[in-house]
Formats: sequence, structure tokens, C-alpha cells
Amino acid sequence: MALDVFAPWDDPNAKPLIQFQNVTKRFGDFTAIDDLTVDIFEKEFFALLGPSGCGKTTMMRMLAGFETPTEGKILLAGQDIGAVPPNKRAVNMMFQSYALFPHLSIWENIAFGLKRDKMPKDQIGERVEEMLRLTRLEKFARRKPHQISGGQRQRVALARSLAKAPKLLLLDEPLGALDKKLRQETQFELMDIQETTGTTFVIVTHDQEEAMTVASRVAVMDHGKIIQVSTPDVIYEAPNSTYVADFIGDVNLISGKADPQGDKLHMHWAEGQPAVVGSPLDGATKGQDVHYAIRPEKVSISAEKPENAANAIQGEVHDIAYLGNISTYHVQLPGGQIIKAQSANNRRISRRAFTWEDKVWLSWTDTAGVFLER
Amino acid sequence: MKTSFIALAATMAIGATAATAEEVRVYNWSDYIDEELLTKFQDETGIKLIYDVFDSNDVLETKMLAGNSGYDVVVPSGTFLQRQIAAGAFQKLDKASLSNAGNMWDVIADRTASYDPGNEYSINYMWGTTGIGVNVGKVKEVLGEDAPIGSLALIFDPANMEKLASCGVHVLDAADEMIPAALAYLGENPDSHDKDVIAKTEPLFTAVAPYIQKFHSSEYINALANGDICVAVGWSGDILQARDRAAEAENGVEIAYNAPSEGALMWFDQMAIPVDAPNAEAAHKFLNFIMDAQNMADASNYVYYANGNKASQPLLEEDVIGDPAIYPDEATLENLYTTSPYPPKVQRVVTRMWTKIKSGT
Amino acid sequence: MRRLLIAVPFLWLLALFIVPFAIVFKISLSDLAVAIPPYTPTLDIAEGWAGLKAFFAELDFENYIWLTEDDLYWKAYLSSFKIAVISTLLTLLVGYPIAYGIARAPQEWRAMLFMLVILPFWTSFLIRVYSWMGILSQEGYLNQVLLWIGVINEPLIILNTNIAVYIGIVYTYLPFMILPIYAALEKLDISLLEAAEDLGCSRFSAFWLVTVPLSKQGIIAGSFLVFIPTIGEFVIPSLLGGSRTLMIGKVLWEEFFSNRDWPVASAVAVVLLLILIIPIVLFQRNEQKQREANQ
Repeated sequence: MALDVFAPWDDPNAKPLIQFQNVTKRFGDFTAIDDLTVDIFEKEFFALLGPSGCGKTTMMRMLAGFETPTEGKILLAGQDIGAVPPNKRAVNMMFQSYALFPHLSIWENIAFGLKRDKMPKDQIGERVEEMLRLTRLEKFARRKPHQISGGQRQRVALARSLAKAPKLLLLDEPLGALDKKLRQETQFELMDIQETTGTTFVIVTHDQEEAMTVASRVAVMDHGKIIQVSTPDVIYEAPNSTYVADFIGDVNLISGKADPQGDKLHMHWAEGQPAVVGSPLDGATKGQDVHYAIRPEKVSISAEKPENAANAIQGEVHDIAYLGNISTYHVQLPGGQIIKAQSANNRRISRRAFTWEDKVWLSWTDTAGVFLER
Repeated sequence: MKTSFIALAATMAIGATAATAEEVRVYNWSDYIDEELLTKFQDETGIKLIYDVFDSNDVLETKMLAGNSGYDVVVPSGTFLQRQIAAGAFQKLDKASLSNAGNMWDVIADRTASYDPGNEYSINYMWGTTGIGVNVGKVKEVLGEDAPIGSLALIFDPANMEKLASCGVHVLDAADEMIPAALAYLGENPDSHDKDVIAKTEPLFTAVAPYIQKFHSSEYINALANGDICVAVGWSGDILQARDRAAEAENGVEIAYNAPSEGALMWFDQMAIPVDAPNAEAAHKFLNFIMDAQNMADASNYVYYANGNKASQPLLEEDVIGDPAIYPDEATLENLYTTSPYPPKVQRVVTRMWTKIKSGT
Repeated sequence: MRRLLIAVPFLWLLALFIVPFAIVFKISLSDLAVAIPPYTPTLDIAEGWAGLKAFFAELDFENYIWLTEDDLYWKAYLSSFKIAVISTLLTLLVGYPIAYGIARAPQEWRAMLFMLVILPFWTSFLIRVYSWMGILSQEGYLNQVLLWIGVINEPLIILNTNIAVYIGIVYTYLPFMILPIYAALEKLDISLLEAAEDLGCSRFSAFWLVTVPLSKQGIIAGSFLVFIPTIGEFVIPSLLGGSRTLMIGKVLWEEFFSNRDWPVASAVAVVLLLILIIPIVLFQRNEQKQREANQ
């Protein structure tokens, strides 16, 4: 799936499959979703990412029909689905607990939704077989859910929710119950299945790595609001806020005062230290409070002060985290702030350049980080 | 007979003199004594009295035949006494220790001798008749002013029963009392042991059974007094107790008792001592205590049953000795009959027929 | 030590079931007699081997043959069975919604709701059945209330009918139905119902296709717990039922107390036990299945 080709969100003529229009959901005094507007397009793999309690599950349950918006509208293919009960929606859900019917076999679980649609018997059989093939469960058709492994159960849940060929498939933390290795394998499997079936997927997760891996777009949520919605690379490279920058991956955040100079923005962050130089921030005025976010892998570490570096600061190695393929150096600046810098371990450990309390130089280019207003 | 286990459950242990080693266990009918007499016995003798009650001869007999009942004094009715004596359940009384024996009334003793020849095993406690209790107001409302409340026709004529069904009829659940009554109504010998004669009563009962709300031997006291039912075939004293309870409650229910004009069963409740009584000596003391003229008079004044104690009669209250429902006049006494126990084979036929009458099966 | 542990339940079974059953079975093979105890033969150990032989020679199955000769017995068994089946269904009908309501109630309410179910058990069973007599009689509270509201003009005759028996049985055995069903429903994951709805079920069909099958074990357990004691029930039909309520418990009582025929009464009891063994075995099998399913 080439992202540069598939980008209906950039096409002003594209019709969204799902539209949240100023949706608010309150439970008593608690506002779970706060005046939220977002469009999701057909064939998208859309991830709702955020910490627990951010409202992502509520959004999904509203799509499934288990909750109705307090205010605003949700449209599916242009139709308001607010009053449509869950059993009448062309939307299926894969539950976090999988919610497999323990009294039915795998085969019957997958056929459950088809039977409710009064589909002819032979067609049900064909469809179930197809789903079993798709999820590689042919051998387990006759077993009961408690007789198969966790990974297999996850695939049954997926097969069951896909069997009715829904317009939209909702996945609630679909991989949460699997161990890490299985999770990674399954992520790619999910993407394959999504591509094969052409179904629109909306996934809810708190795992940013998972969201980044599988999704065409990621919506980062906090306190009932979407903070940023964009493709994974934009979310990573150009977060729109310190919240997003901090939530996705590892980041160094430095705060200071803005000082626009020509086509660059300077930021003064500590007495006696050179200003941080980077690409400008729209509308930033001199003296305004701004933040600078830079990923550790974009920060170089060297013994000598590098020449021609847009940004170079000296500090002392405070801590080293050896991760095998890479090492993260925690470098303490004179003001006490810690900056993380990563370098690939392409040499043996014994020949590593730096050790604790070494004086080192940190440097990065003027496009490596981003300035953020909030 | 069916609620007897409730009676069993309602065990009363009188007195707090737990320290005294000696005790006597008495098993008597429910609602059948003035409880002050029990306290009096304990005070006079220092023997701890444990008093249990039952409401069916069948329960008592089963306990006697099982043996080791643990009771020192029991009170079976005449026919049951006779069979239990035959089974060897009782010991002969030690007349020498019964100093009040002279108080007994020969009229009654002569009749009880047919169950217990020579009255060797038992003394009479109370006697009475089996008759009909009616809620006068309700019955007259249903059947008119000339309702046959003194006749067995009230309960054996389906025309009457059909109308009475709406206000409720209870009948004793005792085949050995109801079948003789039906025989008396038919003009047969009430004490017949002939299966064919007994069988004649079946259609009589079958015709009226649908109108009988319940066959039961103790519930009718309350039901009659509360006005839940309007007719009960029951024991004289029980119906008179219902009469008094209704009068005390001032609920407008007026109860009357009649020994049927076709003849009524005369029955005797006899006190006897089981052969395996743990404390026969105390049992004799209790019997002698009961035979005291004043004590016996107190008991009758309380429960409205006649007793077999001649000496107690001057001490009886006028509404007891003077009530022909309790102490029948000579003419009525002539009209009373007694029965004898059925042999086992006949008993089975009687029980089977009774079950069929009650349940339709 | 291990053997001792195994021996305990076996001794228990031996002392409380096999020995009493053997005694009852022996009496059922004896003959009626006017004596204490009222049957023959009785074993005279003093006579030794000869006495033992004479004892066994006198035992026979006559009383069982008698049970087949009078239609009273099989009619009573059948009627008891019918009353037990209807009572069980009625108890299920009343008990299931209650169990469901408790299982779906907020956590903090459940303990109290449970208390309300169990609380009546702290009062004597007889008192509770007796109070039903006060409620159901013609002058009872129920009729008074209904007359007062004006729903009826004549008092209803409920006491001493089969309706009163059913009311009494349902009331008495309700907790035995509610507890196992509650246990099954409480384990039920709400997301299963959401999944069923998500896959196209209405609320109602989700109940039938998911909730009911998943509480099946509880329904079966509760039904047996009601059915088995009800079939031999004696107290409730005696107190609340009319003379037309035919149940084996009452027949047993009459054989024992009215006919004083212990041998026939014992035969009736042995047959009742044999009839009950079938549902008891089925019940055991259900429990076994449940245990396996939970593993």
C-alpha cells in the first residue's frame, strides 16, 4: 500500500465513509468525547491512539452502536447512524476479550452472524470456509474456543467479525492479549487481511508502535479530543504538540523564548548557551514561549566540536543505555537538562568512543527538530 | 393427622427445675390440658414434667409399635388402645399406687372395659362424641332457617353439601370415625367389620367429597372460629373450643355443636403406661394426680370435654356439666355407639377406600 | 493417611445411606404383624445359623407385587412426578428473572439482594408454610386485599388446592433455583451479548442464543435441586394442598401411619428411591460435565 498513492484525506472531492460531526459524549458529569470532528475514508486503516481514559474506546463504541452521542452526529456513508441499533449496522467489531461464544465451535462462531442474516445454508458454509482459510484456522473448525491457543482465538475473533463483510471493522485493542513476538507477526497479518478484503479498519490501541505499524493514519487522542490526526511519518517527524511528540516514541524537549531571524527561528533556552536554530514556526513572535522537540537518533555525539553544525552544545555523559543495536547516551548539559542522543553500535563495545563523565559535543542540523507552540 | 409432626415440633418442656434428676415424659393430644395443671404437678411432686403433644392416634400408635418411645404416659383412644395392648405395648397398672382410683365413674369404666378388659392397662382421661360443628349464621344463610344442623344429612346429602361447599366444609381425616358415621346414616351397624357393608359407604362419600374442602383432624378448630369454614365434622370438645375462641374474638361467628340424631360415635381417650416407660413410678404418680377430683374438674373446665371421673362432677362449672353437648342427657347417651378396632386386612380396605374418597384415586 | 482420607466419605455413605437403606429394604421384604416392631421376621442372633436361615426364608417380594396390583401407587408416583415437573418449571420461570436481575444489578447491591433471597431461610420452614395458609385462606390476606381493591367479589379458593401447593413449592425452593443460575449468569461476560448484538442479534435473540445456553448448567443444576426434593415432598401438599392432591409422600404416610403397614411403606420408599436415582445420576453427570468445562 503506497501511501503517496492512497491519500483520500488530501483529496477535497473524496467522500468520507465515516464522519464525526461535533460529537460530544458525556457520562454524567464526565465528558468522554468533547466536540470531536473527524473524517475516516473507505479502505483506510485508521488508528485511535491514546492513553486509557482518553475517549478512544467510547468513539469506537459509538461507531458500533453501543453508545449514542450526547451531541453531534455520526454519519456512515452520508447517513446519520445515531438511532441505528448495533444489530442493524453494517459495522462489526472485534472485541478486546475476543468475546467468542464458549458454547459454540469455531465454525459456529464464525457462522453466527451469517445465520442471523438468514443467509442460505450452502452460502454460509462457503463463507465460513473462506474465513477459515483467510485466518488459517481450517484445522480447528470443530474445536471449542477453550481448546485453542490465544493467538488462534484472536484469529477466530477476526474471522467472525469479518465474515459478514462489514463496511467497517472495529478492532478494540486486538493484539493486547498476545505476547510481543506474536503481536508483531499478527500486525502484519492484520495489514495483509485488511488489504485483501479492502475493508475499512478502525483500530483502538494504546500501543504507539502498533498504531504506527499498521495504520494509514493515526489519531492521537487526549481527554476526549483528537490532538493530531495524520500519517504515521508526519505524526513522528512533525508532531503538532509536545503531547504528541512525547507520546510517540522518544523525544528531547527543550523550552525557551522564540527569536525569529530571517528564514530561521532561534530559541534562547539557557544563559551562556547558544540558541537552538531550526525551521520557523508560523506566527511565532519574538519573546514567545516555544518548545523544541528533537528525536534522540537525530542528535550526533562527538568528542570534538563539529564544524558547520547548526546546533552544537557541550555536555557530560551521565548515563549510557546499551540496547544492542544502538546505545542511548544521556548527556547532562550545564544547566542540568538531560539530552538523549542515540548512535548505532557498528563497533564492538570495547572500542566504544565514550564512557561515563566524558565531555562530549551534541550536534544536529537546523531541520532535525521542530519548534512547537504547545 | 397430617399436621402431627408440627405438634411433635411444638414440644414443651415445662418448668425450670432442671436440677432435679427425676422426670416424667407425657405424650398427650394437642390442646388437651390446662397448662397450670402441669405446673401444679411439678410443684406437688418435684418431678420434672416433659409434655409433648400429638394430634393423631396414628402417630402415637406408630411410636408405640416402633418401641422405645421414651414416654412414660401416653393417651391413645379406645380402639387404638385395644390394638396396642394386643401388640404388647403397655404395662399393667399398679392399682395399689393409684389411691384416687375410687373417683372413677363406673358408667364410663364399663364402656372402656370393652377395649381394656378390667381396665387393667388404662384409666379414662376424657371422653366425647364425634359430631357436627356449624357456623350457625352462615349455614342458615346458605340452607335456610330449617337447615338440618342436628342431622348427618347435613354432610351426607349432596344437595346440602353442594350449597355448603361455597362456605367451606372440613371433615375429620379419620376413616375409623367417618365410616361408622356413614354407616349410622345408612342405618347399618356403625361397628361393622364386614367389607361389603363398609363398601356401601363409598358412594355416599364419593357423592359429597367434591364439596369437602379438606379432610383434616385439627385445622378445623381455627378455621371454624375464624369463619374460614362453616361446617366441620369433628370432636365435641374441639368444636366447643372453636365456639369459645369465636366468642372471645367477637368476630360475629356463632358456632354450635350437635351429636347427630342418627347416632354419634362415643370415644374414650385413655391414659396408659408404655411397657418400656423409663419412669413407671412417676407415671403412676401422674395418673394418680390426674385422677384427683379437683384436677380432673380443672382439666374438663378448661378443655370442654367430659371426663370419666365421678368425683369431679360436683366441681365442674355449670357450662360444662350442664351442657348436653358435653355431658349428654340420658336419651342422647342411649343414642351413642362405640366401635372396635379393624383387623389388619379390613384396616387396609378401609384406608384404601378412604384414600380413594379423598383423592379420587 | 491417604487411605483414611478416602475412607471418610465411604464410611459416611455407608453409615448414612447404605445401612439405613438396607434396613428399609429388609423391612420391605417382611410381613405385617401386630407386635413391636409391627413386622416379622426379626433377626434372632441368639439362634445362630439356623435363626439366620429361618430369617431369610421368610423374606419375599410380596409387597412389591402388591404395589403393582393397586393403581393407587403408580398414579401417586405419576402425580408426584407431574407436580414436581410443573413446580420445577414454575420455579425456573420465577427464579430465572430474579437471578438475572441480581447478576445484572450494580455490584454494591448484589449482597443486599442476595440477603433478601436467603433471609427467609432463617425462619423455620414450617412457620413460613403456615404463614402461607394465613395468606391464602378464604379469609386470608390475599383475599382481603383483592376484595378491598375490588378485583373479585367472592373470595378465591386457593388454600387446599393444587395452586396453593405450587405456590408453596415455588416459594420454598426458589433459592435453590436462583443460586446456581446466578452463579452461571454472574460469570457471563457482557461483551458476549454485545458481540451477539454486533453480529445481528436483537436483544431478545441475544438472550436466547447466548445468555440461555451459557446459563444452561445453572438451569439444569437448579432444576434438579428443585425437582428431586419436590417429588417426595410431603409437608407442603399436606399443609397447603387439598384432599385431591395425590402425592407419593402422602401415600407413604398413610401406609406407615394409617395402615401401620411398615413393610408396604418401606416398599413404596424403596421404589421412590429407585425412581429418584435416575435424575440424581443425570444431575451428577451434569455436575461432572460442568467441572470439565471449567477446566
